[in-house]
This record gives sequence, C-alpha cells and structure tokens, in this order.
Amino acid sequence: MVQYLVILLDDTSVSYCHADNPNAERKLISIEHLKAGIHEAMRQNWMIQFVYPDYELPQEYLDVIDTIDHHDIFGIEKSNFEVENENDSVRVMDYSQLATANIQFSGGILVLRLAKKDLFEGDDKIAALLPKVERLNIVITDLDTFTDSDIERYRTILAKISEKVKALYLGGATPQFNLLTDRIMLSKPNHCNAGVENLTLAPNGKFYICPAFYYSNPDNSIGDIKSFHETSELQIPNQQLFRLDYAPLCRHCDAYHCRRCVWLNRKTTLEVNTPSREQCVVAHTEREASRLLLAEIREKATFMPETEIKEINYNDPFEVRKEW
Amino acid sequence: MIKLKGRKEPWQSGVAKNITFIVTKDCQLACKYCYLVGKNIKERMSWDTAKAFIDYVLGHEDDFREESVIWDFIGGEPFLEIELIDKICDYLKLRMFELNHHWFNSYRFNFSTNGINYHTPEVQAFIQKNREHLSIGITIDGTEKKHDLNRVYKITEKGSYQDVVKNIPLWLEQFPNAGTKVTISSADIPYITESVMHLYSLSIHEVNINVVFEDVWQEGDDKKFEEQLMTLADTIIDGGWYQDYACSFFSENIGKPMDPERDNQNWCGAGKMLSVDAAGNLYPCTRFAQYSLREKKALIIGNIKDGINQNLLRPFLTLDRTTQSPQKCLECEVASGCAWCQGENYDAAKTNTIYERSTAICLMHKARVRANNYYWNKLFRKLELEERREEFEKNHRKSNPSIC
Ligand code: SF4
Ligand code: SF4
Repeated sequence: MVQYLVILLDDTSVSYCHADNPNAERKLISIEHLKAGIHEAMRQNWMIQFVYPDYELPQEYLDVIDTIDHHDIFGIEKSNFEVENENDSVRVMDYSQLATANIQFSGGILVLRLAKKDLFEGDDKIAALLPKVERLNIVITDLDTFTDSDIERYRTILAKISEKVKALYLGGATPQFNLLTDRIMLSKPNHCNAGVENLTLAPNGKFYICPAFYYSNPDNSIGDIKSFHETSELQIPNQQLFRLDYAPLCRHCDAYHCRRCVWLNRKTTLEVNTPSREQCVVAHTEREASRLLLAEIREKATFMPETEIKEINYNDPFEVRKEW
Repeated sequence: MIKLKGRKEPWQSGVAKNITFIVTKDCQLACKYCYLVGKNIKERMSWDTAKAFIDYVLGHEDDFREESVIWDFIGGEPFLEIELIDKICDYLKLRMFELNHHWFNSYRFNFSTNGINYHTPEVQAFIQKNREHLSIGITIDGTEKKHDLNRVYKITEKGSYQDVVKNIPLWLEQFPNAGTKVTISSADIPYITESVMHLYSLSIHEVNINVVFEDVWQEGDDKKFEEQLMTLADTIIDGGWYQDYACSFFSENIGKPMDPERDNQNWCGAGKMLSVDAAGNLYPCTRFAQYSLREKKALIIGNIKDGINQNLLRPFLTLDRTTQSPQKCLECEVASGCAWCQGENYDAAKTNTIYERSTAICLMHKARVRANNYYWNKLFRKLELEERREEFEKNHRKSNPSIC
C-alpha cells in the first residue's frame, strides 16, 4: 500500500539516491500541480516528502507546502552550511562538498552521495561525520561498477569505519549509519519499496515509480495528477513485480538493510525484480561487516541480545538459489 | 564488462547445454505460421563470427559446466549454409580435442530443417562425416493438403510437400528413430487427425506436436480441438498404433494441479541455452533475437567480443513458475503440462519483462487435458481387458516433447 508521496518541487531538485539528476534547467512545479499533489496526498492518507532545488522557493510555494504535515529533503546549500536537526528534514550532500566546505553539523539526517573512489579515499572524513549527525546514509552512486578488488577494498573500509562506530557505542552514543548499523537494528526487510509503498510526483504533474524513473525517461509516467483525482488509480502495469514477494532472490534474502533499488535492477538486469550481482555483493559485504561489528560490541558489553545475524558462506543469494 | 567472481557452479551431470548458431535468417519457404517475423536474406553468419563465438565458448569452460553440449543449427533454413556449418563442426571437433575440453566426446550436432536440401551431395557428405553425433529433425506438417496450407515457397507460394516427402525415406533410413515437429495454429485444427496418421503412415514413429503460444485462437477453437483430439485418440487406439508410435499430445503426466513449492520450476530453458546470430550478438534463446519478435526489442545478453553479461542472465536463471504466473494458473486444477515460451511471454507482456506469463493457450490446454484423459482411460481399459497393460508400460514408445 502506498504510504509516501515524494514531490519533486523542481526539475533541478536535489538527487538523494542512486540516480543522478541530469536536469540542469530549472522548472518549478506549477502551483496548481503542487496544490493538487497535496490534496491527493490528504485524500489518500499519504505522507509527503518534498524535495527542494538549490534556490529559494517563492513565498507562495512555501505557504502552500506549510498547509500539510510533511518531511523535507534539501541539498546542503539550502541549509546554509548549518545542519541542524529541525523537523526531521533530510540534508543531502555530495562528497565534493564534504571535502571542501566547512560545514557545521548538529544532529539531523545526512545523506552523503559519493562514488566508490571517494568512499575508499575518504573513510576518515566519513567516520568523522558520525558523531555529528543523528543519522548518516551513504549512497554509492556507481554501485553497479563494483569489481572484485573494489569489494575487497570496501570490506577493509567498512572494517575501519566499524572501529569508530564501535567506539561510539561503547562510549554510550547511538550513531545510526546505514551501511553498518541498520542491519543490526532491523528484524525484517526495509527496502526502498518504490512503486509499492511510495510514488513520486514530478514537476510536470505526472506520477512516477521514483525520481530515477522520471530522470531516466519522463515518458515512464504512471499517470497524471488530474486523472488520478477522478479515478484514484494509477497505471502501473505489472505492479506486482515491484513487490518483495515477486522478487525471487530478495524474498529469501536477509540483507534487510539493502535498498533493493528497483531502478538499478532495471538498469543492470532489465527486470525491476532482479538485482545485479554488484548490488547483492555490496549489500552482503555490509551485512558481514555489521555481523562482525555486533559481535565485537558484544565482546565488551551486552548489546541487543535478541538480535542474531547468522554467519553465511555466500555473498550473493544467486549462488544459493537452488537451495531454496 | 565488470566481473565479480561467484562460487563455481558444480558440474552438472546429466545436463546438456544447448548452444544455437543462427546461421542464416533466410529460408526457401515462407511458412504462414512462421514466428520468425523478421526473416531476411542479408543476415548470414560469417566464418569469422562463428569462429570468434566458438573461441569464446570453449575458452570459458568454467562458465559452461553442463556435462554435455548440443550444438544446434537453425535458420531460416540451416542447410542453406551447409558449407559454413561443415567448417564450424570441423573446428568445434578440433578445438574440443585440442583443449581437452570436457565436451569432447560428449556433444551432438542438432538440426531442424525443412528437408528440401536433405538429399543434396553437400548435406549428405556432412551427414556421413558426423553421423555418430548427429540428430536431424525434418518438419513435415501432415498430409499434402495440410502441409501445403502453410509450408509454401517464397514468391511462388507453391506448396513444398512433394520436395520434402521424397527425402523422408532417406532420412528415416539414416535416422530410424527420428521424430518430426508439428505446430498447430487455428486453421490447422481440422487436419490434426489425418496429419498425425499420415506421418505415422510415412513410418515416422514420433510426432511432437504443439499448439502455438501466440494469441491466435478464435472462439470455439477449443471445442474443435478437443473433438479432433478425441478422433485422434480413437484412431490411434482402435488402430493399435499406440505401441510403436507416439504423439506428444497424449501424455500421462499432464492435467494435474501443481504444488507451488515442489513444482515451481520454470518451463522453458531460455537462459540455460545460448544463441548467437550473424552480428555476433548473444541471446538467451533464439526467440529473443529481433527476427523472432513482433512487439519488443531484441533481448541481447552480450556479444562475441565482450562475452555474456551475467547480470542479464540473472532474471532467466531465477525465474520460477509461481512468480510469472497469474493467480488463475496457480489455482488451476489441470496446470501440469500447460507450457509457455519465455520469448512469447516477453513479446506479449505489458512491460519489457519475462515475468509475465502469457496464457493465450489456456482454453486449448484445457481441451487437450480432457481429450488426454479420454485417451488414457480408453487405452488402459482396453489393455486391461486384453491383459496387456504391463507389456505396454514396459515397451511402448514415448514421445519426447519439446516445446519450442
Ligand atoms: S542483497 Fe540482493 S537479494 Fe538481498 S535484498 Fe539486496 S538486492 Fe535483494
Ligand atoms: S493457462 Fe489456463 S490451463 Fe494453463 S495453467 Fe493457466 S489456468 Fe491452467
């Protein structure tokens, strides 16, 4: 069941996920479409996440946005380099900004988008963020290019950052870091679920599975706001294939923290329900690092005694598919 | 292409890899039901392409762990390219030997031909040379009338029956156990019984017959189909043909409900097979090449230069019956034996997916199941009354159903 509606306020709204936003030209959503989107969200009981461009919106827009309870996703520019924990908003930054800008953080949720190369070189900078934010989400933008040697490096990097996380935990803090602590905290899958639990409204007044489907082809629309108002229905052909129970590998998998990105799936395997080997191996490298972290914390303190992450001997569920 | 090493698949004993060369997209005929919508005379495979493909496959022994291999040649009409095929087969044998490849001595060459060139010296010389490792199927649709309804020459539209049937004795002499494949479309239904009986009368002991998967069926076709199959059942049983001859329409194992967990395999072998075309593109099965598709773009999984993109194979290798089937099939009381073709599913699907099963044959399958039940009930009763059931179970000829 759909629970969230992502509203891209502008064609240049910040990208907070795997796909880059290729749009350079500003195109603000019309005030009518914005109001209609909010109206439909109220009718359907959807929580809205507004995604902002890097410029100040007209007051009229801010007033309309204020008419509904919502979450915000800003680029870091919008936050004036003062990241504070205000109304659950999410700040997104690129690695280049982390490397160059002098940003003051105090709490808040931070999404850091970076390429694997930056991750491999910048682990100190990344680890240094952990005590400053409430939650850090790393999004690797070239996940689909991981090679065997990248995985080895990734394992090493995660082990290094893991030391920092462990120290924070043992010092009484509770950092949240998607690559290492989510799997420990989760007891069931927490995938992105685009197309099932969340949809996206683009500045053109049309619905999409997620922003990446809009960026990659605006003709991918699954309906427009006007006809949705009449019918309360969208056209998502083969919508079942976005569901976990229709994903032959993922439905057996316990890398619960994995994004299971349906857009990446389609890009790499041509099927929204089938992940690439890279997506699975990366997620399982994180799963294994989380398992080791949990064990290490437990050596020093009692920690989440009811949680168990089993040791497994594969890093791609595809390899054990015949055992299911 | 990025490679992440997986655990090695274990050797698969008893499993054969099917590797298909689409040597040409040309054919002498223009069969009316032919699914190859994009046939043409331009796309003939070059020796360089064939060689590069062979070098790729044999050079990646670890990626092809099936115990044996079937090198398949299709077209268009493959025997139009007999010279190239001969060269390919010689090279395959040589390289498998030189590399001490596990497929050396565990291979077959397989052909589906329209039979027109079967008697020519070039084809005959090839057969003599490779006899021990060869299977050849000639397609003949039944009686002259039925055959010539569909299997006509390009341009002249003249029927091809006479040119094929004259080669049948030679073929059966060389391959006494050979079977033929028959494909039934809406217009063929009235001719089923006479066609099968005609093929039997030509001494073809095995008739593998299927209805097409495409959505070609008219209202009432299922009733007509059932009636034809009932007549066929009576003719086979009353005429005593059931012992030495087989027709794949009648099978003891079809028409039962299926368990969602135990019986969850995919039907079709797409993805476990591999095809290459004249351009050097690789496909999970020939049905995904552009010339076989009506609506969709070709689904290319690699090429002879870069090899197979393993990510594109993953959907094929994880596909199961329940994930692609609509609810009605999961609850169906007569589901077993109801086949599908991944290529047709893909072509007919609402989105670009192989995960949407086409059920255009639904009513035809149900009709077949009813006639099939009738066949076995009648036959077993007869055998019991004659006290010959045991003998039948031991010795009767079984068909070897292939769906594509
Ligand atoms: S690791 Fe692979 S199988 Fe598991 S949820 Fe992620 S994408 Fe699916
Ligand atoms: S297509 Fe029809 S006959 Fe075949 S399994 Fe589905 S419901 Fe049953």
